[in-house]
Amino acid sequence: MTSTNNVEKSKPHRPPALPIVPPLSFQLVVTGVYRSGYPLQINYPMLERLNLKTIIYLGDSTYREETTEWCKTNNITLHHFHSPTVKEPFVSTDPETITEALLILLDKRNYPVLVHSNKGKHRVGVLVGCMRRVLMGWGLAATNAEYGRYSGEKGEADLEFIELFNPKLDYDKEFAPDWLRSQ
Amino acid sequence: MSRFNQLVPPLNFCQVEEGLFRSGQPASFNLPFLSGLNLKTIVWLAVEEPNEAVLRWANDNNLTIYRFGLQEGGAPWDSLRVNCIADALQHIINPANFPILVTCPMGRYRTGTVIGCLRRLQGWTLSSTLEEYRRFIGNKRNRLENELRIEYFETNLVKILEEESRPGWLWV
Repeated sequence: MTSTNNVEKSKPHRPPALPIVPPLSFQLVVTGVYRSGYPLQINYPMLERLNLKTIIYLGDSTYREETTEWCKTNNITLHHFHSPTVKEPFVSTDPETITEALLILLDKRNYPVLVHSNKGKHRVGVLVGCMRRVLMGWGLAATNAEYGRYSGEKGEADLEFIELFNPKLDYDKEFAPDWLRSQ
Repeated sequence: MSRFNQLVPPLNFCQVEEGLFRSGQPASFNLPFLSGLNLKTIVWLAVEEPNEAVLRWANDNNLTIYRFGLQEGGAPWDSLRVNCIADALQHIINPANFPILVTCPMGRYRTGTVIGCLRRLQGWTLSSTLEEYRRFIGNKRNRLENELRIEYFETNLVKILEEESRPGWLWV
């Protein structure tokens, strides 16, 4: 262990008083963008520490009144994209939804952002996958590997969607996040 | 974009917090991706040395590598000792080392154990900590010993810096 002035000024760790309970499938995607399942009351103390400015919900359920209230109290702007559960082969992701969500992520004035679906597995996985490919220039295998960490066995149609998704994004370069890899 | 200049993050790569990343051992084709992170420090958690490509790249880019895998009589499949974990965490929570990459050969067990103990330090419940830990194990055989290390990790082994010099995500 390095002995610096900082370490000498330090003290043994005491964990936070409240238990920190992130929502299901919670993870940082990139600085300023988090992903997860549906935020519940038990998750609020943890989420409030993130100082979220925006929430993107991809889902077909009505947003709970209680969650909407919580967003209001914490000055969080909510974007609800009505995105259905993918049911292969007849119900698939709407490219328009993903494009609109990506445009929100392309404006760092919206940060920090939480992107969530119900379980944080498939719909959020598609959005994050498209973000990795289109905005960050990741290769397909690595993108799919990340999708697969959350999705379990399901999701062939989602992977196909991520591979073929090639939107035209009209965004303001001035407010683009630093990690954006120019296309 | 040509498919030849696509970026390839290392196996099990993930951003843990601002300034902190985790992954498996980088291969030479991951280096263009890693260069984009402007890393300052690597925490290497394995008995064996990192591969030549990584060592050369780290050297060329003036990265500091801290090794915490070594243990007396230890085999590569043994769990990390508690003092190894605490020493590694002491470096991981020091913003002077950021951006920092925590890595081991596959980015599953050793990295997962250390990040798991970090989550405990952050006050996460055990179930959310293990949810994250298991996500990186995937369908590989779980190692109960690592989960026990995480469950019984004594967070007071780690010294916490004064508020102004600790990362914003370390809430105490």
